[in-house]
Amino acid sequence: MNVNYPSDKVQAAGAAVRIRRLEKRFQSVIAVDGVDIDVSAGEFLALLGPSGSGKTTILMSVAGFEFPTSGSISVGTEDLTYVPANKRNLGMVFQNYTLFPHMSVLDNVAFPLKMRGVPKAERYARAEEALATVRLAGYGSRHPNQLSGGQQQRVALARAIVYRPRVLLMDEPLSALDKNLREEMQLEIKRLHAELGITVIFVTHDQSEALTMADRVAVLKDGRIQQIGPSRELYERPANLFTAGFIGEMNFINVTAEGSGGNISVLLPSGERWQLPASAAVEPLTGCQKAVLAVRPERLQLGDAHNGFTFRVKVDDVVYAGSASLLIGTLPDSTEIRARLPGASDLSALALGSTAVFTIPKEAILLYPGAAQ
Amino acid sequence: MKPALDRGSLALGAYVYTVLAFVIIPLVIIIPMSFGQNDHLEFPPSGFTLKWYAEYFTSRGWRNATWLSIQVAFLTAICATLIGTAATYAMVRGRGQLASLFQILLIGPIIVPHIALAVGLYLFFQTIGLSGTVPGFVLAHTVLALPFVVFTTAAALGKVDANFEAAAMSCGATRWTAFRLITLPLILPSVVSSAFFAFIISFDEPVVSFFLSGVRQKTLPRRMFEDIEQNLTPVIPAIATLLIVLSVAILLGAYAMRSRARS
Amino acid sequence: MTTATRSRFWHSDGRRLSGLATLLLLLPFFAIIAFVFIYPLAQLLFISFFEPKPTLDNYARVVANPVYTRVLLRTLWTAMLVTGLSVILGFPVAYYMSRVRGALAALVGVCVILPLWSSVLVRTAAWSFLFQREGLINSALMAVGVTSEPIKLLYTQGAVVIAMTHVLLPFMILPIYGTLRSIPNDYMRAAAVLGATRLRTFTEVILPLSMSGVASGSLLVFLTALGFFITPALLGSPQELMVATLVSQQIREVLDWPFASALVGVLTLFVTLLALIFSKTLRFDRLMGAQT
Ligand SMILES: Nc1ncnc2c1ncn2[C@@H]1O[C@H](COP(=O)(O)OP(=O)(O)OP(=O)(O)O)[C@@H](O)[C@H]1O
Ligand SMILES: [Mg+2]
Repeated sequence: MNVNYPSDKVQAAGAAVRIRRLEKRFQSVIAVDGVDIDVSAGEFLALLGPSGSGKTTILMSVAGFEFPTSGSISVGTEDLTYVPANKRNLGMVFQNYTLFPHMSVLDNVAFPLKMRGVPKAERYARAEEALATVRLAGYGSRHPNQLSGGQQQRVALARAIVYRPRVLLMDEPLSALDKNLREEMQLEIKRLHAELGITVIFVTHDQSEALTMADRVAVLKDGRIQQIGPSRELYERPANLFTAGFIGEMNFINVTAEGSGGNISVLLPSGERWQLPASAAVEPLTGCQKAVLAVRPERLQLGDAHNGFTFRVKVDDVVYAGSASLLIGTLPDSTEIRARLPGASDLSALALGSTAVFTIPKEAILLYPGAAQ
Repeated sequence: MKPALDRGSLALGAYVYTVLAFVIIPLVIIIPMSFGQNDHLEFPPSGFTLKWYAEYFTSRGWRNATWLSIQVAFLTAICATLIGTAATYAMVRGRGQLASLFQILLIGPIIVPHIALAVGLYLFFQTIGLSGTVPGFVLAHTVLALPFVVFTTAAALGKVDANFEAAAMSCGATRWTAFRLITLPLILPSVVSSAFFAFIISFDEPVVSFFLSGVRQKTLPRRMFEDIEQNLTPVIPAIATLLIVLSVAILLGAYAMRSRARS
Repeated sequence: MTTATRSRFWHSDGRRLSGLATLLLLLPFFAIIAFVFIYPLAQLLFISFFEPKPTLDNYARVVANPVYTRVLLRTLWTAMLVTGLSVILGFPVAYYMSRVRGALAALVGVCVILPLWSSVLVRTAAWSFLFQREGLINSALMAVGVTSEPIKLLYTQGAVVIAMTHVLLPFMILPIYGTLRSIPNDYMRAAAVLGATRLRTFTEVILPLSMSGVASGSLLVFLTALGFFITPALLGSPQELMVATLVSQQIREVLDWPFASALVGVLTLFVTLLALIFSKTLRFDRLMGAQT
């Protein structure tokens, strides 16, 4: 792939972003509540969280459209907390393209250069280059309304990178696109990130988008960081019950846990008692307490596999879905259990209402203090 | 640390409030004038009296003019709202017949100078004996109020999903029942507020009234015109104050209707 | 006509009214417009061309007599002046209105809307009082020392221009406000993040995007000003007539119907022509949308 900024590679590389104890209140609403995030130079960080969790507010504070109630934001070595948006030199892509409708595509891309006093000829040359980077060379003379949604968003990308900002902010940039375009644009953004070495902060509420695109994901809820980590860590070992339930599918079983020495003993609703390794507890347990046993549906194995604990599930429904089948069942105390079984599994014995035996591998079990709803 | 208001915003604010003062002061200043004791208008007014209001309410000429204007405005509100709503409904739910003709004719009464219409109607109504009559005023004012009624109801009707009526009809309702039970309640606040606007348009209309008024049948604006032209007495500020109160009341009424439409 | 369209004329299909019902509902509208709007205007035009005999004399008089051409030019000039003043005064207000929220927004809104819905006579009366010899403006000017004795303000063209601007200003503010409000906030943010200062954001993005509002406001104010009657009649000088006051004079004092008709013809045809040429620009729904 050709890189359009050979001589500027160093300059174009990303800058670290430090967010310290960021707090933002709107009257009585606390939108962001003491958030610390460190994004290293060139990193791709996704902000993920349910609606109203404060993602946009954090991004707007970084961009300079909201001044925080307290806390600080710095990029590289500069404190930008109260610097006006137009002096921050950050790139930003909005959800709804925001291409100026009265300018041609080329003028749109050249706009930030014009604001920086770049002479006309150079401005257009660089704008053309940026359009080529997003593979829209030759579209410069069109007007934004003559482009498809995906093309418009790529122009917006070109406009955001043409002045080589060191950080690129994006607020749900793909949510206005349909599924195919979204996947295409995900690749496009990943490629640009790799080519330019720019730091990216990317807001999304689509977890698969966050997990596949980002180096690290920050999970937010009610204005607080729940967990920051690489996708794998987030999925394999969620730091708390919220993340465990928010990312991917998870089975929750309420238990009573008792920790002693290296082992933990849990009492299941059925009355059975399992001995778990200490590593199962995500947070240390103290004495005897209520806890939640969590396990991913795809980790459950049909039958007794002799490598973990077995339990019985009443089969309520089996949904065939090609590559895998989903089994929905209940424990005797009517806790719902889901299991994803490989497509090739023999499901002939799983009549509705029958009882199936499942194995949970020991290492697949996570234990959280508290209770599931 | 946090940036304060910059000079640009301050200058803009100062300019804007100066313009707003220009807009609102002439209206506000007239209110205290209506309480002044002297026979000629002065500012600040001396003393306090309600005699100008008393004169307005007791004078036969003012009373007749006001009563005529109220009758005309009331009937105009009804006619314009009925005709306008029917036409709008036909445009929004119809087959687009005559749509462009409708639109051209609709903006006609806004574009064509009122003086032209007034002179035309003066001639026409005199030949058929409608000049200076309540029906004559109502017809003329209905034409002037129609565009505003149509714009207001069209905005409301555009927001009502056509499938609501289709659904009602599939449940066995006739078109009329569907309209009455589903669509009308949804657009009613806008229809009522457009009736308010039609009322005030007619009640305040000066130009056509000026030409259509006869020697005996004079609308309130026509009487006011004569009074201002000849001898600006403090009765005018008194009436003006009452009219401003009426405008505020009608705007509040329309606003309340609109808030209801939203919720 | 195919059978399909014919049957649609008689029957509704659930979503759409039948053609017959559409026409019946439109009938009262077209009837009243035809009889109370089109016919009287057509009659005037007819008179202007055919009385006393088929002739263009009446129009020739309008353009040949310097007294009358001066009235036409004065009207044109006054309308342009009022339009220009309205843009200068109105744009910042519209811009401010589109930016503020909450109580301030309500205050500004009331200041703009209330005059619009209060009687033109009330507003003209107020100006007539302000412009009097012993009126507030003269007292203020003398108090500040600009002038030692009252200056003549009432019955001047200046008074007419100021009062007309006052009356027509809302028609400028509301369409501009409408376009400004329809510019998504993200455009301003995008411009800022791309490095534009507030001023550049305004000149590069907001101003160009609000031009359609300025155009429709200007056209509306200009067209209305051309035919304005009440304000010039009450505040203007009888020596400096405008078209509308001249028409009134011809009908009520001179009783020269053919000539008055020709004047009305010139005014109406000119205004209609402008409105047709710029029909794309005139967006009345926007005005009403902002109002109600
Ligand atoms: N200008 C504002 N005034 C008042 N409250 C606000 C404002 N902006 C945001 N909030 C509140 O702050 C909280 C966080 O909002 P924010 O827009 O950051 O959420 P989000 O995570 O981006 O949500 P979404 O996924 O829906 O975009 C919400 O409760 C919201 O109601
Ligand atoms: Mg958001």
